[in-house]
Amino acid sequence: MGGLLSYFKSLFGSREMRILILGLDGAGKTTILYRQVSPEILVGEVVTTIPTIGFNVEQVTYKNLKFQVWDLGGQTSIRPYWRCYYSNTDAVIYVVDSADRDRIGISKQELVSMLEEEELRGAVLVVLANKQDLSGAMSVAEVHQALGLDALRARTFQIFKTSATKGEGLDTAMEWLANALTNKK
Amino acid sequence: MNSMKRDKKDEEEGGGGGLFSSLDKTTVLQEARLFNETPVNPRKCTQILTKILYLLMQGEELGTREATDTFFAMTKLFQSKDIVLRRMVYLGIKELSTVAEDVIIVTSSLTKDMTGKEDLYRAAAIRALCSITDSSMLQSIERYMKQAIVDKSPSVSSAGLVSSLHLMASSGEIIRRWVNEAQEAANSDNMLVQYHAIGLLYAVRKTDRLAVIKLVSKYTSLAVRSPFATCMLIRIACRLMEDDPDNDSTYQDFLESCLRHKSEMVIYEAAHAIVNLKRTGARELSPAVSVLQLFCSSPKATLRFAAVRTLNKVAMRQPTAVTACNLDLENLISDSNRSVATLAITTLLKTGAESSIDRLMKQIASFVSEISDEFKVVVVQAIRALCVKFPRKHGVLMTFLSSLLREEGGLDYKAAIADTLITIIEENPEAKETGLAHLCEFIEDCEHTALAVRILHLLGKEGPRTNKPSRYIRFIYNRVILENACVRAAAVSALARFGALVDELTTNILVLLCRCEMDSDDEVRDRAAYYRCILENQDRSLSSHFILNEFQEGEGEPREGMLMTEKKPSAVTKTRQETLAQQLLNIPALAALPLGQLFKSSMPTDLTESETEYVVQCIKHVFPQHVVLQFECRNTLPDQLLENVRISLEIPAGFELVSEIPCPRLEYNTPGNVYSCIRLPDDPQLAMEGTFEATMKFVVKDCDPNTGLPDSDYGYDDEYIVRNDPEVYFLFPLRFLEYFWFYLQLEEVEVATGDFLVKVIEGDFQSAWDGLGEENQVTETFELPYKSLEEAVTKIVKFLSLHPSERSDRVQAGKTTHTLYLSVASLRFLLTSFL
Ligand SMILES: Nc1nc2c(ncn2[C@@H]2O[C@H](COP(=O)(O)OP(=O)(O)O)[C@@H](O)[C@H]2O)c(=O)[nH]1
Ligand SMILES: [Mg+2]
Repeated sequence: MGGLLSYFKSLFGSREMRILILGLDGAGKTTILYRQVSPEILVGEVVTTIPTIGFNVEQVTYKNLKFQVWDLGGQTSIRPYWRCYYSNTDAVIYVVDSADRDRIGISKQELVSMLEEEELRGAVLVVLANKQDLSGAMSVAEVHQALGLDALRARTFQIFKTSATKGEGLDTAMEWLANALTNKK
Repeated sequence: MNSMKRDKKDEEEGGGGGLFSSLDKTTVLQEARLFNETPVNPRKCTQILTKILYLLMQGEELGTREATDTFFAMTKLFQSKDIVLRRMVYLGIKELSTVAEDVIIVTSSLTKDMTGKEDLYRAAAIRALCSITDSSMLQSIERYMKQAIVDKSPSVSSAGLVSSLHLMASSGEIIRRWVNEAQEAANSDNMLVQYHAIGLLYAVRKTDRLAVIKLVSKYTSLAVRSPFATCMLIRIACRLMEDDPDNDSTYQDFLESCLRHKSEMVIYEAAHAIVNLKRTGARELSPAVSVLQLFCSSPKATLRFAAVRTLNKVAMRQPTAVTACNLDLENLISDSNRSVATLAITTLLKTGAESSIDRLMKQIASFVSEISDEFKVVVVQAIRALCVKFPRKHGVLMTFLSSLLREEGGLDYKAAIADTLITIIEENPEAKETGLAHLCEFIEDCEHTALAVRILHLLGKEGPRTNKPSRYIRFIYNRVILENACVRAAAVSALARFGALVDELTTNILVLLCRCEMDSDDEVRDRAAYYRCILENQDRSLSSHFILNEFQEGEGEPREGMLMTEKKPSAVTKTRQETLAQQLLNIPALAALPLGQLFKSSMPTDLTESETEYVVQCIKHVFPQHVVLQFECRNTLPDQLLENVRISLEIPAGFELVSEIPCPRLEYNTPGNVYSCIRLPDDPQLAMEGTFEATMKFVVKDCDPNTGLPDSDYGYDDEYIVRNDPEVYFLFPLRFLEYFWFYLQLEEVEVATGDFLVKVIEGDFQSAWDGLGEENQVTETFELPYKSLEEAVTKIVKFLSLHPSERSDRVQAGKTTHTLYLSVASLRFLLTSFL
């Protein structure tokens, strides 16, 4: 009897969470995905990426939680297809290039219109103010402000500062996300 | 409707289709929504994808919207790691890539799969990736394609090469940059990789002949391991040989070395190539035939088939080369494979001796009903060739053919039989009556209109000249009663010919034609009325012109106005001759001359090259004592005006220039005529040959291209440009102008025998000839410098400008004598040429 119970428990525990990584092109989404896929990549080691035409989808395990992570390309031509992948999404990781002050406005627009989507109504939101290692990068507060996150209501969300290439800040963000998703159930 | 329902039910009961028997597009696409669910159910999704692919293979078409939706749903399946499902997804991508929009969405995922660790994905991912890639996207995957081409895994390398080959059409420029990689792959030990690599290299260089030559010489000397690649090299080498007939013997040596290859495929390819090369002579042929002979006794049916089929082809052109294989072919007659047996027999028919024919025909008869129409045609063609070769065998052969005619068969097959019978009849006078009898019997029950019409035509042509023409009337008239309008009309025309040619039958034919005038079809009635009207006149020349001629000019073209006129119909339409004569009479200077009746006007001949600035054509008008040369001149330069255009002629001895009429003004693009009237020599022998050297003389003025008026800048006191050489312009003061003519040398004008002969379209040569009487016939023997009979016939017809009668311009291949009937009416004498 006990065996059966633990079987159900493990079954439940292993239900895959569906996560989307979104953001403009060059923000660091693919770098972040592959750091998660291969945690053995050391902090400070470099992950090389090429522009994503379409999407990458990978399974990521974090603290016994299984995530199915979709990294969608951020080029203008591909953004319209994001919506094809919204349904059944548990969380969105929105990545911002903190050093790209020119396009932070566009980044905000994309975020706003994405959050308006009905299919994403229940999704947890993590914003990563990435590329913090670059000099002249906006601070977390500046990014928070520029994206207009103050206006967010009824959304489980948190913003973190990260440097994907250096691997800094990602762990904290993932830990928060894992907790948020477990609590939500 | 009912029967359709029953069919469907039958199918269901048969239960053959199972899962896929009654798929419906809408339902299946509905099911495809399952792709969007997480977690993915690989087994179910694989099944749904299979259904979609099945529908597409059945020819079902998806709209852009449907395809795009399905495609995007399918992309969700990339989250599953199930290998079978992923490979199904690749297939789905390939199939939908042409219909769905924005298919590039899977580029990254496929690129990852093609470079990833899972070998089972890589080749298929490459193929899928290339199907969604256009030349703008190709650059971004170029690096991976190059890597794939030189990959260690043969399947990956082949996939890269073949996909590149497919992309050649749209992105040739990019693919050309991958030549180094392809060259590396061409050294592969793997047979397919090497084949695909050389294939790609050839595709890249195809348009550059020198590069292809290099390619072939490189890989032929390298002793390529892959038999596929060797076969391809054989084909490329053949193409090179055909393009350049006088190249050296390297390729020939290569082909012959391939005959000794260890792979049967290569040996056959080489033999086949040698046999089909135009340049192949007996020396080259014999080793090829030897290997084919060996294949004839191979235990593999495909090899036997290939060999005998190729030998069959050789036998058509060079039967003697195949005689050596007769024994092997004999063994194949009883081959369990009917196709092999048929080809063996027909080959033997072409190569064998007269004595073996009866036996072979019996053999064929035993299984002819079991083979397909296509092969039956092969049999018939073989028989046709036999009839030409052994005319004495026509009895056996015709009986066989007519038995074939009675059996089931399509139009092509029946037409081939009828054609063969017709050839026999035309070739072989002894066979005529039997042949016609067979054909009569056939049209009694012939479902092919076209064929029936042809046979009726033949009956009308040949029937009246047989011993007992009346026996055919019944068969022909039966058609009028029983068949469709087309056949009825043809039957009426055939009847009319009997009426015109056989006096005893005329009255009866008139009665029959009368009945035909009651027909429900316009064309049939018109023909009947038309022919009756002519026959009732009882005028030989009338019926010869309007019943018998018509058969040469084509069916069913009754002449204009024929039925209304009581006069001789020739006066009704104005001929080219009459128009030209009228034109000449309109020129006062010519009308004043005592020329008499125009006998013949030639076709225009060019005296200048077609590209020149001034174009001159000459028409020769022949009169009883004179020839009028009409030079039609055209000025193609908009900024020039020619004045005082004359043609000066060098008059040969015996001829005499009577009068010359210049053309005062030749404006741009408006033709103008210069006439020269020449009196012919009194000696008719001399009159038949005359060569006139011609020079065009004229004055040139520059003019305004818009108005055509001489340039005002060049007032009369100023200068004109006079051209003396097309390349050089001279300027001359006006006052000298009259003394400076421009001379243009023209081609010579020749007056020859042909100009004095008139083509007469004589329907029935024999009766016209007989009507001439002995005193008008002369027989002479000529030695002619022509290589073949065909050449001689065409040259003579052209030289004499005569009309060949009774289709006697067609020379039967392989004959040494030929009678050419030419109809002539001449002004001064009558000439008929026999050969
Ligand atoms: N300096 C710096 N560069 C980064 C960081 N994250 C990503 N990049 C670089 O930004 C470029 C784009 O990264 P990529 O992950 O492909 O972005 P994506 O288009 O969002 O997937 C790459 O050259 C990365 O190396 C970061 O935190 N700091
Ligand atoms: Mg990316």
